Amino acid sequence: MENIESKLREEAKRLLLEKRADIIVGYEKGTLPLTATPCFVSTEAEADKLVYNELCTQNLAKYVHDLITAHKNSQKRVKPEDRKKKVIGVVARGCTTRSLIIHLQERQYERDEVYIIGVPCEGYVDKKNLAKALDSAEIIDGNLDGLQLKIKTAAGDKTIAVSDVIAPNCAVCRFNNPIISDIMVGTPAPVKNPATEYDKISEFEKKDIAERWDYFTKEMEKCIRCNACRQACPSCYCPTCFAEQSQPQWVGIGEDKSDTQVFQCMRLFHMVGRCVDCGSCISVCPMGVDLRNYLKKIDKDCWELFGTRAGSSMEEMPPLGKFSEQDKEDFIYNP
Amino acid sequence: MEKRLIKKNTLTGIAGKMADEFKVWAPVKQEENVIFSPLEKNEQPFFAYLNSKNAPKQIFFPHTETLMKYTSTPKGMVFAAEENKADKTVLFGVRPCDAHSFALLDMLFDQEKYKDQYYINKRNNTTVITLACVEPPYATCFCTSVDGEPVDDKGADILITDIGDNYLVEFVTPKGEKLANYFGETKADAAAETKKKEIAEKAKQAIKSKIPAHEIKPILDVNFENPIWATIHGKCLACGTCTWMCPTCHCFDISDEVKGNDGVRIRSWDSCMFPLFTKETSGHNPRTSQKERWRQRVMHKFKYYVDNFNAIACVGCGRCVMSCPVNLDIRKVVEDIAKIK
Ligand code: SF4
Ligand code: SF4
Ligand code: SF4
Ligand code: SF4
Repeated sequence: MENIESKLREEAKRLLLEKRADIIVGYEKGTLPLTATPCFVSTEAEADKLVYNELCTQNLAKYVHDLITAHKNSQKRVKPEDRKKKVIGVVARGCTTRSLIIHLQERQYERDEVYIIGVPCEGYVDKKNLAKALDSAEIIDGNLDGLQLKIKTAAGDKTIAVSDVIAPNCAVCRFNNPIISDIMVGTPAPVKNPATEYDKISEFEKKDIAERWDYFTKEMEKCIRCNACRQACPSCYCPTCFAEQSQPQWVGIGEDKSDTQVFQCMRLFHMVGRCVDCGSCISVCPMGVDLRNYLKKIDKDCWELFGTRAGSSMEEMPPLGKFSEQDKEDFIYNP
Repeated sequence: MEKRLIKKNTLTGIAGKMADEFKVWAPVKQEENVIFSPLEKNEQPFFAYLNSKNAPKQIFFPHTETLMKYTSTPKGMVFAAEENKADKTVLFGVRPCDAHSFALLDMLFDQEKYKDQYYINKRNNTTVITLACVEPPYATCFCTSVDGEPVDDKGADILITDIGDNYLVEFVTPKGEKLANYFGETKADAAAETKKKEIAEKAKQAIKSKIPAHEIKPILDVNFENPIWATIHGKCLACGTCTWMCPTCHCFDISDEVKGNDGVRIRSWDSCMFPLFTKETSGHNPRTSQKERWRQRVMHKFKYYVDNFNAIACVGCGRCVMSCPVNLDIRKVVEDIAKIK
């Protein structure tokens, strides 16, 4: 991918200088080799730490929602006439803009409260795929040279093509360029391989119930209920998650297997028409739980039954927000 | 105390033999993760590991633990204490940093003011066998900054060190010595001990990641309201992964789970990173944002624990550094705090 970092920094400085954004959410270099991490830029000098490359993993829309919510809460006790608006700038690739669209459609904030700096995306490096390619050898040092990763590991040096280790969601991404933006930095990247996006799910669907249940229970047994998946997800923004409600208590907080399964099922079902396949929940999961298998199934059903894809257009109503007499419903009675 | 030499291919066999007499927790490979788990019959431990994904603290302080049970009957509540039984256990192959964490947890759960029988029972019934790090497993290891060493017997009952041709087995406590018969007959000679000292020194030098952990204590003492606290937490997801993975984090919640007439009171892990952790019944939350929560995490590890027990509540294992999904690196936080004038 072309190096757009200098353009990105310039743009960020301009936005801050012209007071078009109060703070910009972007990525900076991480403290571990071959990582990038979310960062917040509110002065021109800070803008020089912005980076954008294939190591940028997290969907930053989550932070947009957090910052605006925190600001609104802080304004609650301010007289209406004295209330200030805060504009959040955000470095956004395709999936990030889809999440922003979901927020906007769900009336979380107004369009003019967010300034979208669109960036193209070639897919990000998946930690698990990278570890596999390196036989789990520890990465001592590394740098990104064009679309090649030059890596020094505990077991010797290695060069790996980014395309060989991108995240599974990125490999089949249909929306890798921003859907909405206020400015675009860089030229749109070629679309990946969306025709194959449901291949693995279709395979899984063919398995019999026992086999599917075994896989589900095996994956859920890995879960340690840290909630990182929920916390990283831009669509999981409820002020109090059902998992933490106590009156009534929907799920126990202990290690009971069925509590974990119920927690996961409920979170998954809250993602109908709201999961943009950004992979953030998967990349943050410390235990490597295969959440995508289920999220992608929900996405597939949503597409096949209602013909919509989460956050794919500003104009199209989200599936849970519209009703048509032609909506399929027989599956409710004959699953 | 006694020292012996064993052949390098005997470790798995010894663990297997112990499994006849004890419940043996050892590192095992589960897909891409290495975790501590009780060995099943004929299950192979995985001793070629770097360190386990999760900290072994769960052996003494499980994620979920039943404290007591109760039943509502027409004649009133009937309470039953949980049996609180602990099997005779061997924890085989923890790293020195994790063994160090047990020494730190003992200060809290087994102190004059308070004795936690649930923890103490399991602790007393467990023999800890440490497998020294002759090569520091990760570039993120910083045990030497927090009073640890890669070859160290703190918190261990037996210390095993790879000295090249053989393993040197040192019995550190009488509890460890009781298992001596599992480790053959060969007494270690002076040469083996010299070799171990050399290896220990080399391993210590190999730790490159250093943090000013002791140096920040006086700074923390007087900087509860410093503006720096507003600059740390921004990207934190409040996921608590850092505290879940941490061998020394020990905060817990107590709750009741009731089904019909039967209830159990359970203790489960909690985390200072969760907003709910300090939320009061009234709805008020004294720690209003992640800023206060991150301050608590730093203060607890590098100030309060030092005030209370004269020890830093971090063993430098680097798990939080490697597992934080957004790379919020505690080493950098400590370094930045050290720069406060
Ligand atoms: S559920 Fe996961 S993949 Fe879907 S939007 Fe949320 S974080 Fe992204
Ligand atoms: S991030 Fe992973 S381990 Fe944590 S709650 Fe989600 S699925 Fe479970
Ligand atoms: S704070 Fe981090 S490095 Fe220190 S003991 Fe806990 S997990 Fe390990
Ligand atoms: S692991 Fe990282 S993101 Fe999660 S609570 Fe800890 S510091 Fe925050």
